Amino acid sequence: MQDFRISRRGVLAGSALLLASTALPRIAAAQEPKQGGRLIVAADSEPRNLNPAIVASNGVFFVASKVVEPLAEASFDGQDGLEPRLATAWEGSADGLSVTFKLREGVTWHDGKPFTSADVAFSALQVWKPLQNLGRIVFKDLEAVDMPDAHTAVFKFAKPTPFQLIRNALPALTSVVPKHIYEAGDIAENPANNAPVGTGPFKFAEHKPGEYYRLEKNTAYWGEKLPHLDEIVYRVLPDRAAAAGALEAEEIHLAAFSAVPLADLERISKVEGIEVVSKGYEALTYQLVVEINHRRKELADLKVRQAIAHAIDKDFVVKTIFLGYATPATGIVPVNDKQFYTSDVPQYAFDVAKANTLLDEAGYPRADNGSRFALKLLPAPYFNETKQFGDYLRQALAAIGINAELVNNDSAAHQKAVYTDHAFDLAVGPPVFRGDPAISTTILVQSGVPDGVPFSNQGGYKNDELDGIIAKAAETLDADARTALYVDFQKKVAEDLPLINVAEWGFITVARTSVKNVSNNPRWAVSNWADTWIET
Amino acid sequence: MNHVRRFLATPEGMAGGLLLLGFLLVALSAPFFFPRDPLSIAGPALLRPFQDWSLPLGTDRLGRDVLAGIFHGARTSLAVSLAAASASIAVGAIVGTLAGFAGGAVDEVLMRVTDAFQTVPGFLLALAFVSVVGPSLGVVVAAIALSAWTGPARIARAEVLSIRERDYVASARVAGMHPLEIAFREILPNALPPVLALASVIVAQAILVEAALSFLGLGDPNRVTWGGMIAEGRAVLRSAPFLSIIPGIALVLTVLGVYLAGEGAVEASAARRSLA
Amino acid sequence: MKRALLLLRRRLIGSIPVLLIVIVGTFLLLEAAPGDAVDAYVVSTGGDAGMIEALRQRWGLDQSPMTRLATYLWALLHFDLGHSVTFSRPILDVILERLPNTLLLMGSATALSFGLGSALGIVAGAKPGSFRDRFLSIGSLALYAVPGFWLGLVLTVVFSVQLRWFPISGIETIASGKTGLDRALDIGRHLVLPVAALGFIYLALYLRMMRAGMAEAWRQDFVLAAKARGIARPRIVLRHVARNALLPLVTMLGLQSAQMLGGSVVIETVFSVPGLGRLAQEAVASRDTPLLLGIILVSAVLVILINLIVDILYAFLDPRVGASEAAA
Repeated sequence: MQDFRISRRGVLAGSALLLASTALPRIAAAQEPKQGGRLIVAADSEPRNLNPAIVASNGVFFVASKVVEPLAEASFDGQDGLEPRLATAWEGSADGLSVTFKLREGVTWHDGKPFTSADVAFSALQVWKPLQNLGRIVFKDLEAVDMPDAHTAVFKFAKPTPFQLIRNALPALTSVVPKHIYEAGDIAENPANNAPVGTGPFKFAEHKPGEYYRLEKNTAYWGEKLPHLDEIVYRVLPDRAAAAGALEAEEIHLAAFSAVPLADLERISKVEGIEVVSKGYEALTYQLVVEINHRRKELADLKVRQAIAHAIDKDFVVKTIFLGYATPATGIVPVNDKQFYTSDVPQYAFDVAKANTLLDEAGYPRADNGSRFALKLLPAPYFNETKQFGDYLRQALAAIGINAELVNNDSAAHQKAVYTDHAFDLAVGPPVFRGDPAISTTILVQSGVPDGVPFSNQGGYKNDELDGIIAKAAETLDADARTALYVDFQKKVAEDLPLINVAEWGFITVARTSVKNVSNNPRWAVSNWADTWIET
Repeated sequence: MNHVRRFLATPEGMAGGLLLLGFLLVALSAPFFFPRDPLSIAGPALLRPFQDWSLPLGTDRLGRDVLAGIFHGARTSLAVSLAAASASIAVGAIVGTLAGFAGGAVDEVLMRVTDAFQTVPGFLLALAFVSVVGPSLGVVVAAIALSAWTGPARIARAEVLSIRERDYVASARVAGMHPLEIAFREILPNALPPVLALASVIVAQAILVEAALSFLGLGDPNRVTWGGMIAEGRAVLRSAPFLSIIPGIALVLTVLGVYLAGEGAVEASAARRSLA
Repeated sequence: MKRALLLLRRRLIGSIPVLLIVIVGTFLLLEAAPGDAVDAYVVSTGGDAGMIEALRQRWGLDQSPMTRLATYLWALLHFDLGHSVTFSRPILDVILERLPNTLLLMGSATALSFGLGSALGIVAGAKPGSFRDRFLSIGSLALYAVPGFWLGLVLTVVFSVQLRWFPISGIETIASGKTGLDRALDIGRHLVLPVAALGFIYLALYLRMMRAGMAEAWRQDFVLAAKARGIARPRIVLRHVARNALLPLVTMLGLQSAQMLGGSVVIETVFSVPGLGRLAQEAVASRDTPLLLGIILVSAVLVILINLIVDILYAFLDPRVGASEAAA
């Protein structure tokens, strides 16, 4: 049980989802912020490595983003959906071979040393590019970082790299760590990975394993009169039923990442002094996906895949499993993405009769017991919802004569069975959309991914046309042309169904009403909380 | 017959017998009353009990019939607990008999292994085993048996040691029977009654361990179990408490029934002994 | 005292084969598990093939199982439990940090179930067959039939959320800076519910054993004699009947210790107590074989020690036993 908790949030990193409009209102801080106080939040797991420059995942960011800052953060109303952090300005060259960052001046590390372009160069070349789970993809062609002065960093790429991609990657992939602490010795073994040192509004104070993390106010923070809070404490609550009770008993102030089960939200929203907030996860969209093993003869047949798509009642899934806190998916890019999304793709409406016809046509008639063939179905154990969807899918498949046997694995066993051993027919997975198809999405259909890579195409699917589009988009510099390629990509995926997208969801925050400035940016839970304050 | 009457004469035996009878009826009648897959979606989700008479106990998070779950869950509990009890008693009786009869190095080795199993907390062992092999009903049964066979083994060994010098064993030896044959034909049947007395405890523990494993997310998702239902209802413990309370009550009553019946049986046999 | 130390040494040496079986068995079990520590790790981080291979190498998982087992046993010979990859710390430190919490929880729960159980057992056994007797013994049995996690959940809802008498979870108020008596009281308050949940379940064992022992004792000659001599009933109950029934309960204490450690896995999860049980569960989930081995080893030694203490206690209560064991 522990395992799915470990990875619930940790599954993958979020990133800037670019919200073009500024229509979304900020949660207004009508009152004057109160200084001081301790904010206690629920944490359901304890990441083993707290260095967000190495592990760019939400589980790490949840704690570490208050300590270690990225070059820019996602924003509801900033230009390109970004807001400056350690960088104040950024610009890509026309040839796609360099990106220039202007860095913030007068910033110091928590140990008092000044922050300079050398730290950014070190982080990019020594950490993000070789060590970071996502940086290894985005910065693979980064060759050098020039430092014309202490507050300018120029990234030089060996091959043209789309600036659009770099920009989209800023919030999640560019946490800057101090060179003077990491330059000696093995970076992966550095003690600062467990007690991070950064430039953020809070300093790392202590971690008591199994009990809590404590962060303290950074009095030398560059932000004016920030942060408001004196302390943030992350209280480890491994049992999922615990967060709701702890909120009601006023032992914690806030539970993010749907730590309070969706089914309990209606009740808890009526408790006085508690509010349910569904905003603040716009850039952290998770997708509910049926992964398909194309090595299996029946599933290699497009008609069978179409039949399965028609057998799934997406509205039921959204209404009953997600209790409305999700959106039915139309394709591989989520509906709430304003940059790449297109609705102009083939749709598979819920239609059991049609599904049955398709299966008959495909040559899989029902046997006397009503069953056409049997399958192994592996729902990912990371979320309640993926498991429940597994239960539902088994029933939905039974209705069209496919006899699915559920296999309930823990995280490690699931990872091994699906992504290394390919010992599945269908799997239910929750990949994350990270604001740009190149960082997260294309790997779900691209061929040639080595065995063992999590959240990638391990179903043996190979489509040269799609592979071609993916390769072309990787070197297309013009943002519009690149977007057009991904629109085409979405259509082809929906036509050929290498996987089936069912729904998309963000998380829910439940907080005491005394906590102010909650969810005021699209990746709030993993942002720095400098302006969060608490009424006493 | 006398024995049964004496059993029912004890209040424990009476109460336990009734509870178990109810449990058996429920388990055996499940396919007649609820021929559909109990995991299929039968109505709107989270319907409260006593609202709709076609779904008298309401529905769960996905709209599955709670009453059908209780009936079919009883079948699973029955299967799991009987299988786990027979497996652990069979293994324990064999190991214990072998050790007691063979003596010497064999005894030493077998007893060390028994010690080893007893030293590791049983639930921890079951937990590790199920996590490793993957939760299915058979694995859960094996895991429970793995942590429960040592009790029967020790009792069987002690019994064997106490009876192996008795006349009929000695005469079998004189008659030239193979030691193993003696062990299984003559000694085992005699050592069985005290081992069987442990059965009620193992059956009850099996039901509880299965529930605790389900609570930790290690249940078989293809079968309805009461533990699984409780675990599933836990997320909505506050807003739909009936989802964990109904299977909880079924579970407590059944386990209580097993304990009481075991108690009644012990008292009945004690009464017989004191009469004899 | 010297006798006890001798006994301790003999027991520990005698248990080496047992511990060896436990270690090798656990190792092989985890070796057979699908997925290793790296698989468990990348689930929460993601990563590409190069990163995964580098991690396997760094964590020594590219070596053969037998090499790793040999390395582990060799280190163990030097009293080194190894290094946990999940915690990036020495395993002994990780375990020692959690051990006191588990000991406190188990110890208090045992005290509760033993103390209250035997007391109620005396009440029940004082008059076998009475209403009081039936009520207590069936009532305690009903508690014994309740799944531990369920009892825990209900206790938190009633006493923490609704009545707010006790904290909902944890072992002490976080980062409170309390020391001395304040801290002890704080920990005590946090322990009430988990101890109740764990202790009440095992109450039945002691109650029923006490009661059964007393029922037996009532039939004994010396009790009948005492009755005949006209000694007051309460005095017979306490001095003669209960005292005789107490001995087997002490043996039960030792037998129960391993069971209770298992039960505390669930209770520690429900109440977020950072103890060994939860740690073991985390070790299994993250496939941290050396950590799980360390926990099982420590708990096995714990069980052996508890049994030793129980035997010494037994010898103290019944001198004949101790003499014969020490002489052997």
